[in-house]
Amino acid sequence: MASYDSDDEVDYATDPAWTDITPLPQDDGENPLAQIAYPPEYALAMSYLRGVMAVNDHSARVLDLTADIIGMNAAHYTVWGYRFKTLMALETSNGFNDGKTDWSWRKELDWVQSIAKQYEKNYQIWHHRQLIIDHLNDPTGERDRTNEMFASDSKNYHVWTYRQWLVKRFNLFDAEELEAMDLLLDDDVRNNSAWNHRYFITLGRLGAEDPAEGVIDREIKFAKEAISKAPQNPSPWNYLKAVLRKGNINLASLKDFCERFAPVHPEGEISSSHALDILSEIYDEAGDFVRAEQALVLLAAKYDPVRKNYWRYRKRLLGSDENVLIASEKTPTVHATA
Amino acid sequence: MSSSSQPPTVAFTNKPEELFVEKHVKYIQSLDTRKDEFEYWLTEHLRLNGVYWGLTALHLLNHPDALPRDETIKFVKSCQHPSGGFGAHPEHDAHLLYTLSAIQILAIVDALDAVDTAACVTYVAGLQKSSGVFAGDEWGEEDTRFVYTGLQTLKILGRLDAVDVEKAVEFVLGCQNYDGGFGVVPGAESHSGQIFTCLGVLSLTNTLDRLSPASRDQVAGWLAQRQLPNGGLNGRPEKLEDVCYSWWVLSSLAMLGKLHWIDQNKLVGWILSCQDDVRGGFADRKGNAVDVFHTVFALCGLSLVGWGGLKEVDPVYCMPVETTKRLFGPK
Repeated sequence: MASYDSDDEVDYATDPAWTDITPLPQDDGENPLAQIAYPPEYALAMSYLRGVMAVNDHSARVLDLTADIIGMNAAHYTVWGYRFKTLMALETSNGFNDGKTDWSWRKELDWVQSIAKQYEKNYQIWHHRQLIIDHLNDPTGERDRTNEMFASDSKNYHVWTYRQWLVKRFNLFDAEELEAMDLLLDDDVRNNSAWNHRYFITLGRLGAEDPAEGVIDREIKFAKEAISKAPQNPSPWNYLKAVLRKGNINLASLKDFCERFAPVHPEGEISSSHALDILSEIYDEAGDFVRAEQALVLLAAKYDPVRKNYWRYRKRLLGSDENVLIASEKTPTVHATA
Repeated sequence: MSSSSQPPTVAFTNKPEELFVEKHVKYIQSLDTRKDEFEYWLTEHLRLNGVYWGLTALHLLNHPDALPRDETIKFVKSCQHPSGGFGAHPEHDAHLLYTLSAIQILAIVDALDAVDTAACVTYVAGLQKSSGVFAGDEWGEEDTRFVYTGLQTLKILGRLDAVDVEKAVEFVLGCQNYDGGFGVVPGAESHSGQIFTCLGVLSLTNTLDRLSPASRDQVAGWLAQRQLPNGGLNGRPEKLEDVCYSWWVLSSLAMLGKLHWIDQNKLVGWILSCQDDVRGGFADRKGNAVDVFHTVFALCGLSLVGWGGLKEVDPVYCMPVETTKRLFGPK
């Protein structure tokens, strides 16, 4: 019972454990658009699921049945929902330890992890996991689980969304979390998901609050080092600008740093269009419209011509303050829920 | 967002390739006759979405009658639950994603009175949470996608008054990130698809001006950055291009009146290279297997940049402009 070995093939029609359930085949009526030729084993398992749902059966065998169906079609959201209801019912009735069922929430989480690795794009899995961890009120091991997923796809949106929920739900804005982002960004400095999460745990969660002493300086240094490794990588540039806004630090403080990657006067080797972009803003604010325009012309003509209309638009805005973000913008308010 | 506020669309002086209209129509029609194929039952959970994607594509291709209207309506009806919401397929649980598809299909074929719309309004309104966000279904997953699907459903049914629109707008505004984009929930990474849903919410509630001009420019600039040197668009920085972003990115730029910030000629050439020129349909990128999801979003992208012969698509609702004009009047 509840072994979830994929080699265990159950024939529901002949297995004695299922004789009390009346299978309910899909009723498509006379509707030709609805009729689908399902493989027989899937159709059979689904008719037994309809059968157990009809009598509201939440016994341990439902775990086998739903695991079997999820193994064939992991995206069937109804099946996940019924499985969760069944797990909750089994816990209430002490059905995990009734002598013949060898199951537990921890085993469920192991099984979910194995399914997650098979179906990386599936989001029902992560919601299921979230419902369980929320219910257990215990995040133990969950960061390791998500780190394991990042090892094969470090930008998986579903996994990141789950990770952020975890951090918020259990107030995990801590050194371990920051260290995890250090590792991910060390491995791939272009991982925008990790940059976003870094902002979330360092500054984003604060909303309107001020960061602790030293955080702004530490993050500026971190972003600048990342830029030096890959100057054309947009993520740390966006990050750096956001950190400055949060710290109420003038963009002009980046002038020397940007000119290293984009000398415009005299024109030298340009290694970052993003530096050129920021320089145009810095020159504009300083009233040096000649250089500001020169930077934008270089972008439109030479370094980013695919967006030439955008750079021309920016040129028209020179001298106005219409395109300047105010400090309070772009800092979503995120509060820990625990 | 009024399409008349857009700059004139680019005239394609040197059309890189041809759009195989008849082949795409045949491909979409053939989907209905492939029910014994493995992929077909595996996508059962997307069935109602699939009908919406196929129907929208056929309308844009100017073949509105290529799917049988009566059977389509009958199928949509068979997906409605006693709760008022719709499942992906008969006997699947109700979910907002399928509820919107159901209502869009009926709006496109002008048959909204075929289902119990009052029950549908009750179902959708019941999914709004106190934070303003919507859950997708009774399991409670929260996502800006569901704010969009919930509000668009109600807007089509003329019942935005059934929910707290201001709270929903505030939730969406709280999902804007430091780079200007939007994610699934506050703090989540910016993603072109989520930007579409968030700008869609602001557009259909006439609250786009809650973003400052600088903020609108920032998100439009981020969207323009999604174009890669080969012309294709990606969904996030440092990710691969994919045809579906021809919709998520372009519709968002269109809502902001900044379609011209990308190189449309290059994009069109790239989209056309993703066609299956033998059997019809579009793939996520050149040489891959086609599907109806990528087919409709490729066509929507081409429609937004004014490709000749295609019907105009509404960037806010992802339905033919003919439909949204009938529903909401001329813009």
